[in-house]
Amino acid sequence: MMKHTKFALRFLCLVLALTAAVPSALADTDLPYDTYNYDYWEDIVITPAAYVPGGALSGTDYTYQGNPVGAFKTPQDMFVAEDGTIWVADTGNNRIVVLSADMKQAINIIDGFDMDGERQTFNAPYGVCVSENQQIYIADSNNHRIVVLEMDGSLCKIVENPQSEVLEDGFVFTPLKVSVDYADRIYCIAQKMFEGIMVFEAAGNFTGFFGTINVKISLWEKFWRKLATKEERSKQQLFIPTEFTGIDVDDEGFVYASNVDTDGLQAVRRLNPRGQDVIRKGPSQNLGGDLWGDDTHTYSGPSRIVDVVYRGYGIYSLLDSKRGRVFTYDHEGNLLYIFGGLGTQTGTFNTPVAIEHSGNTLMVLDAYRATILLFNATEYGQLINDAVALRYSGDEEKAVEKWAQVLLLNENDELANSGIGKAYLTAGDNEQAMKYLKRGMNRAYYSVAYKRYRNEMIKDNLQYILSGVLVLIIAVIVVLKIRKNKKHGAKGAEA
Amino acid sequence: MKEQFSRDKWKQLFYTVSHPSDGYYWIRHQDRGSVGIALLLVVLFSLSFSMNRAYASFIVNDVNPRAVNSLTEMFGVVLLFLILCVSNWSVTCLMNGEGRLKDIVIAVGYALFPIIVTMVLATIASQFLAENEEAFYSIILIIGLGYGAIMMLIGIMQVHNYTLGKTLITLFLTLLALFIIIFLGLLMVDLISKVYNFGHSIYTELIFRT
Repeated sequence: MMKHTKFALRFLCLVLALTAAVPSALADTDLPYDTYNYDYWEDIVITPAAYVPGGALSGTDYTYQGNPVGAFKTPQDMFVAEDGTIWVADTGNNRIVVLSADMKQAINIIDGFDMDGERQTFNAPYGVCVSENQQIYIADSNNHRIVVLEMDGSLCKIVENPQSEVLEDGFVFTPLKVSVDYADRIYCIAQKMFEGIMVFEAAGNFTGFFGTINVKISLWEKFWRKLATKEERSKQQLFIPTEFTGIDVDDEGFVYASNVDTDGLQAVRRLNPRGQDVIRKGPSQNLGGDLWGDDTHTYSGPSRIVDVVYRGYGIYSLLDSKRGRVFTYDHEGNLLYIFGGLGTQTGTFNTPVAIEHSGNTLMVLDAYRATILLFNATEYGQLINDAVALRYSGDEEKAVEKWAQVLLLNENDELANSGIGKAYLTAGDNEQAMKYLKRGMNRAYYSVAYKRYRNEMIKDNLQYILSGVLVLIIAVIVVLKIRKNKKHGAKGAEA
Repeated sequence: MKEQFSRDKWKQLFYTVSHPSDGYYWIRHQDRGSVGIALLLVVLFSLSFSMNRAYASFIVNDVNPRAVNSLTEMFGVVLLFLILCVSNWSVTCLMNGEGRLKDIVIAVGYALFPIIVTMVLATIASQFLAENEEAFYSIILIIGLGYGAIMMLIGIMQVHNYTLGKTLITLFLTLLALFIIIFLGLLMVDLISKVYNFGHSIYTELIFRT
């Protein structure tokens, strides 16, 4: 009787556990996209979802001062300020819309400002940014100026018509994206400006270019240009550097800048104050989004990275408009997870143009749909974020706990395996360390673990090894002696 | 069949490995070699090659285990071996070579022996190596490959009764012939598939029209 009730109880527990587990297991398969990553061999590995769609924000959801805000029209940029407020450059409607941090209401609409007693409006503002000093920077593109406003909407300054010897005559300044660092230096991506990011000092004077990408001309192309006549050369494609597409400034004042790389090798740069690229590349030496874009369908070719967001603790995400993917890297250049896709379902993009983050929510602005799509971290994504953040701050011990949990969800995660392997190595368990480091494809540390393991083995079994060698030597001598004797014996018999 | 793998034939293999010049001479002039053993060595070579790719230790091995397929590798090795022998034969025929196809097969096949042995040895040794010690692994492999190459050179020289210079020239021509054979092979496959596709499309057209 007792046995039966016990069995029934267990069965009940099992059923409960199953019913509890099933919905969450099914949730991933309902996503309109796959979450994946590349392993050491550059093969695609599908992983559990790191981020799931968490709704969308559209202009029609909001009212401001009793009037409906109305749908956005081809919005081009988005910025999340320090206090969490969301600033949308509603390009087609010539205005800036500000949403509250909880995304529940519109708290401001800026459609113009007063200058010298006159009302001025915007013309297709492409970019918006809020500085640490609470000033609003607006790239008023078709008015060819950057407008700087105070929080109350009054004009602070206007940056326009930059003058410099390095600028060509007749250059028309059309700012597209702006970003500001702690010293109020303005970083601006301008249309048809291939020399790099334009930098303006706090007063608004143009000081020079920043992070110029050098043109790469192969020996082969040089050879052909030598052969070509002047006329032919003039008809050839110009060798121009790639354009920058998005900027973000991190806590230390380093500038993350994304660019379109037609080779698909490096689509993001981390520029130090002198404009040098100091980004770190991971084991694949690739920061260009998808490693394999050579399919033969419409969406083939390398990823087209249109924006970058720095998310703290060395983590940054890139937005690809070609296949609608979001790539997330850590400070060492390791790919953490890739998700997203183009389409018409909820949670997919049509024309993604800007990416931002607010807490653990990633936001992607879609220009065509005129909505902001939200993505919330799943347990898996959150664990990876936490582990990477802990490692970035140097707390390896706590990171290992997170990595162990990551492994429960995805046994193949190389970073997690590697992290746990390192922990075992420090703890002195060389055999376990070898196992995990091998799974993590970490040769350097595996070798260290193996060396220690080998020394241990030799030390423990020294007596057996030595006696084995001794026995072997004796055996060889004996065999040789016997053979000699036999030969002698045979010869003796013959004689 | 039994004769191919007789005790004397095996002995001759080991003799040839230790005394290549002499060994190959007797293989040519007294039929002491065995085509069976040579082909067996080719198969063993492809196996040891696959084994090395799949089982050499993690530290020295940068081959994606998912890319190792011993069957297709064996197919490739055997095919390459046959093309090499045939192209060498066709070149030496025109250049006063004395060797028969049989001798060439044996000369090349036997030369694989040291490579097989060192490949297996290196794979085993790699299990006991850590980083910065890969040199041992590659030295074993290089010795095997070098010895194999020397054996093959001597073998070709002996079976055709060539001087060293002439051997090198014929080897270069052999390489050219090898590429020509591969090129013709690919051309033929391509043309045949075109003819097949033509026939196939006519067939489908007829099927759909009627």
